[in-house]
Amino acid sequence: MPRKVAAVAGGLTYFSKARKDKTQEELAAEAARMALFENDIDLAKDDIDGTIVSYFSDHFEDQLLFGSIIQDYLGFNPKPSVRIEGGGATGGLAVRDAYAHVASGLLDVAMVIGFEKMSEVNTAKGNEFIALASDTDWDFPIGGFYSGYYALMARRHMEEFGTTEEQMAMVAVKNRNNAQHNKFAQTNPKMNPFAMKDGGKITVDDVLKSPYVSYPLKRLDICLMSDGAAVLILASEEKAKKITDTPVWITGTGAGTDAMRAGDRPRTVAGVPMLPHEKKEWYKKLEYPGVHSFRAGRESARQAYKMANITNPLKQLDVIELHDAYTSSEIQTYEDLGLTRYGQGGKLVEEGVTAIDGDLPVNPSGGLIGTMHAVGGTGVMQAVEMLWQLQGVSGKFHGSDKTQVKNAERGLIHSHAGTGTYVTATIMER
Amino acid sequence: MTEVYSIDPLIIKTPYEITYKHSYGKTSKFFTSLSSGKLMTTRCEHCKVTFLPPRADCPNCLRETKWVEISGKGTIHTFTTLYFSGEKFLKDLPFQLVYVDLEGVDTLFLTRLKTKDMKKVKVGMKIRMRISKELEWRSSDVWAEPYE
Repeated sequence: MPRKVAAVAGGLTYFSKARKDKTQEELAAEAARMALFENDIDLAKDDIDGTIVSYFSDHFEDQLLFGSIIQDYLGFNPKPSVRIEGGGATGGLAVRDAYAHVASGLLDVAMVIGFEKMSEVNTAKGNEFIALASDTDWDFPIGGFYSGYYALMARRHMEEFGTTEEQMAMVAVKNRNNAQHNKFAQTNPKMNPFAMKDGGKITVDDVLKSPYVSYPLKRLDICLMSDGAAVLILASEEKAKKITDTPVWITGTGAGTDAMRAGDRPRTVAGVPMLPHEKKEWYKKLEYPGVHSFRAGRESARQAYKMANITNPLKQLDVIELHDAYTSSEIQTYEDLGLTRYGQGGKLVEEGVTAIDGDLPVNPSGGLIGTMHAVGGTGVMQAVEMLWQLQGVSGKFHGSDKTQVKNAERGLIHSHAGTGTYVTATIMER
Repeated sequence: MTEVYSIDPLIIKTPYEITYKHSYGKTSKFFTSLSSGKLMTTRCEHCKVTFLPPRADCPNCLRETKWVEISGKGTIHTFTTLYFSGEKFLKDLPFQLVYVDLEGVDTLFLTRLKTKDMKKVKVGMKIRMRISKELEWRSSDVWAEPYE
């Protein structure tokens, strides 16, 4: 039997387009210091038994084996460490791997260290590096890059289900405006000294009038590129109870995969893997997953729900942090997670269900659109955010009570790599 | 001489260049067939599935696939118009990418759409694949164009 595992502490850096003031390892130290010293815990640095290091690309820094530099810089030698990489899902996979390390008994207390410094190359080169995480024989040489791939999927979602650009814009407004109460957020110039100067609140009209990057996706539909780090500490049940009075348990985790070339994915009629609350007749004509839905997201959720005994996610979850790389992919992910039927994701945001004061707030932190996407740090940031939400201390860390979801007891974090190649879903409960 | 970008903090510029000798392995035939004007791809006779891009090995049963010729005619499954891109393709902007549903192929194929009127493009529109006369041995050697 696996051991029970809890999150006990977390730390974040200020996120920024360019943190020129610090190196990548210095950013990791900034987040680790917050995790160790600003959470209400009884834990010394020497109590950490090993680390899971989470970063996406060796290209951004032109340095291989960066994990070893981190392990040395943070003073964890000669303890065990492993580097996890899985594109945009790197952070979610790292949290899951740390869970496995602790659940299995390999480590009692594990530190997950996630980061990325993307600013040392220009934005177009950065996009090109990320595009190298698509098929470089077939999809990249024709001018493919990620906003293009997601736009193709979004356009098919519109065709299949009638999703609109206005609904996508509502996701951007929700997440960006949530970020205005989170001091770590890159789009929050009032609270983050490293924020972009043209940040601040936005409206649906602002999104719709922002220039197209890749029709139907516009500049404000697309996530940030960031420098920054996130650190999470996990512990076994026995240790967790000594470390904190408010452990947050990991009660379920799932991981799914799909073809890197989205066109290679099946289009199976009535092929939706069902969740307990769903009815086969809803999807009897739907070709699945095609390029409109993320089968890996559905698979990860199915596993996590089963493990955590969740049979109706919309009712049983109180808060979600999900991978909003694009506004369209947040809408698609609502459906994969079973928060609504396939095809109804646009309506969910339109009805305000996922707003900060809605029935099931999604991305109260501001997500990737409002707060950060420092790739290897992102999934770890979500876990830290969920820890603080379920401990009821988001206000203390964010510098504003407005991001705290009241009485949240159970949440889901969702991490997602390029067009849904790797996806993880993890359930956390207080 | 190292080029200095800033003094505080100290930021230096370091260029990087590399040439790969990249093998297309068993899918080389896709590219070499283009020089005789043929669109070739692979089919698993056991699973009755035709793949484009070609795969030498069937992912369903792991048997070896066989080469077949395809017509290159089909329809647009979804499309996008790009106004921004990776550094390498900025010079081509704006351009269109499409997933095409081709006759005799079970997968969708991602390719450029070349058309005089980008505004007329829609899902379901008929296309045919074209082959470049000056082959670069890249997937950009083929593209779709409207074909009514």
